[in-house]
Amino acid sequence: MNKVKQKDLILYSGLIILGLAAPYLFSAFKVQLTYLCVLIVLAMTWNLQGGEMGYNTFGNILFYGLGMYLTASVQVGMFFPLAEWTESGGEKTFVHTTAQYFQGICVGLLVSAIIPAIIAGAIGYAILGLRGHYFAICTLGLGIAAGEIAGGIEIIGAGQGFTTPPFPAEIVDTEARGKFFYFLSFALLVGTFIFVKYIYGSRFRLILNAIRDNEDKAEAMGIQTMKYKIVGWMCSAFFCGLAGGIMGGLIGYIDSTDVAFDGREMGVFMVLMAILGGKGTLWGPVIGATLFHFFKEGLWTLILGWQYVALGVLIVVIVVYFPEGLMGWLREKYPERFGEVIDEKDRKAQVELK
Amino acid sequence: MNKIAKLFVTFISAITLALVSFTSSFAKVEGEYIVLGSAISLTGKYSSNGVHTQNGYNMAVERINKMGGVEVQGKKYKFEIIYYDDESNPKRAAQLAERLIKQDGVHYMLGPYSSGLTKAIAPVTEKYKIPMVEANGASRSLFTKGYKYLFAVLSPANQYLEVAIDLAVEKNGGKGVKIAQAFEQDAFSQDVRLGILDAAKRTGSEIIIDDKLPKELNDMAATLAKVKATKPDVLVVSGHTKGALTAIRQISEMKVDVPMLAMTHCDAAKLSKQHGKKSEFALCASQWHKNLSYKDKFFGSGKKYAKDFQKEFGYDPPYQSAESSAALLVFKDAFERANSFDRDAVRDALVDTEMQTFYGNIKFGPGGQNVAKPMILFQVRCKGDDCENRVVAPTKWASDKFYHPIPKWSERS
Repeated sequence: MNKVKQKDLILYSGLIILGLAAPYLFSAFKVQLTYLCVLIVLAMTWNLQGGEMGYNTFGNILFYGLGMYLTASVQVGMFFPLAEWTESGGEKTFVHTTAQYFQGICVGLLVSAIIPAIIAGAIGYAILGLRGHYFAICTLGLGIAAGEIAGGIEIIGAGQGFTTPPFPAEIVDTEARGKFFYFLSFALLVGTFIFVKYIYGSRFRLILNAIRDNEDKAEAMGIQTMKYKIVGWMCSAFFCGLAGGIMGGLIGYIDSTDVAFDGREMGVFMVLMAILGGKGTLWGPVIGATLFHFFKEGLWTLILGWQYVALGVLIVVIVVYFPEGLMGWLREKYPERFGEVIDEKDRKAQVELK
Repeated sequence: MNKIAKLFVTFISAITLALVSFTSSFAKVEGEYIVLGSAISLTGKYSSNGVHTQNGYNMAVERINKMGGVEVQGKKYKFEIIYYDDESNPKRAAQLAERLIKQDGVHYMLGPYSSGLTKAIAPVTEKYKIPMVEANGASRSLFTKGYKYLFAVLSPANQYLEVAIDLAVEKNGGKGVKIAQAFEQDAFSQDVRLGILDAAKRTGSEIIIDDKLPKELNDMAATLAKVKATKPDVLVVSGHTKGALTAIRQISEMKVDVPMLAMTHCDAAKLSKQHGKKSEFALCASQWHKNLSYKDKFFGSGKKYAKDFQKEFGYDPPYQSAESSAALLVFKDAFERANSFDRDAVRDALVDTEMQTFYGNIKFGPGGQNVAKPMILFQVRCKGDDCENRVVAPTKWASDKFYHPIPKWSERS
């Protein structure tokens, strides 16, 4: 037992060192690495519902988009009139000082974590009574509706989109912006991982699994399933909101349906990544997101114009050949490495029976 | 567990290796090539206009290279463009701009298609001080953010249809008109809307319908039903190519009678070819028309450009292609005047640009927009089944008189 822990320690410290060194080692890839961190966070939080609880949600994009708009709005609204900032014909140019920029983004991120969590609680209370396909369809509607609504709200730019505050010009180093957002997203990734790992060792996870495996039985055993479902979703929303806030600042321009409530891309990607890696596992979403991101960045520009066809093929291949994801496939292939004991005698006996 | 750990470590190291081998980037000027970068919408909702843009770029690159290329410090260079597909998505566009600059070592950028995507790319190019000449981002807000490295060869979006309102008022004997309008929820169309609001205020016109259309639009029946009921003097629609096609399709299906129909993107949508007589009398805002009398030594006149373009790509060039070609001419001119590959020198040369191209005069205002070129309006007119875009305003280039009002559907054959 101790030995395993030691190995874990080596693995984790190795990964953290790699993570911290990455923007210096691969300076040109900082933005892609930032995306990777955010994608992993989204896949891991989706996995809490889709993998552990058995509730396939397409609604997490709602919290991601909310986080994006909230961070940017707070960052601007703290110092300048928001309506004038987002007014496209406005001739005024507001410039954040360095201190204002960082104060704004800190408060903005705080808000973008808390409010989505509260909203998840409220929406969850209303719709987590739905099960199976009904829940999936309902959450699919959430993201789409949010995009359309945001596209009509003038104060956040409506259809014009929202240009987030530019990185302070007083910082001359052109690499600073990339590093700032990378470390922010890396910190988020580490935080999310620690949190999810903690959940994996807790009773909370067992309850989520019980809900997945048989919700009625879980309820019969005296578990207040609704309470746990809502808390689980609020946890996901908390981290999704933060991820959105960071992405908004990084992209620099928020569009209601294409960037913020981007259910067609991000919303689908987070599901796909978790399934690719193996839902219901700790490392599955991490590996899935990493593989997916490399597939996307590496291959997509080589097959210009055909990338979505390739994505379609990828989805089919994953579903047909790796329905349990990469981790599930490995587990089936090498069960003993996952700590499952196989009775050789029993296995042979079964073979002989044939 | 430790096996999984090992597996993961192997995986990470493989990625590390792959990344390191990827990092070999090439420079801004490689051998005899000046490398430009552009993220273009080859897929997604802007794919048809993205291709118009790309064709325009390619046509100019080929022409300039064939005619001797760009001369800097006595040496001849050729243009080369690295393209990526931004999937009509601002998030992807910003990421690709970063990639072009950081990984591919691009030092000069050409714009993407649409205002929204340009808005996403501009902060990136600005941060790295990369001069970007763009030909398809017309939103006014692009030019009020104080960007120093952004240059647009086109007139801002709010000017697109202002003239149309003036025309309507003029036909109404100088009195204000009733305007019905429907705009897609994107940066460009919303800016066109702001222009109309200004014009309405200025002329004392009243806006009786002000609808928003969704992105990826293919239905505007609700708006048209209201138009039928309220009988406005002008109907204004803007929503890129799909908006123009949808409007004509449903107006003709529902037989909506309106005295004046003003739109954008008629030529990009090949309206007169796709809908023929149904599209007759539609009034369209355009940055360019082949009949204008501008000239340059690379493409000759607009007519010559249209002919060459037709030969190369098999269709009449919409203004999106023409302005994209013009962007390359601007870059060539700036490189030669700067006589250097220093980004700031090139940027300063761009600021001083004052030239004529087949597409129009180009001179950049303080915000980076082109201030030397007016917008034009053309009207779709048909002879038999053969429909054409005829310039009706401004009067200097008008080949035809503006036909007003549009006859009722019951009277149209």
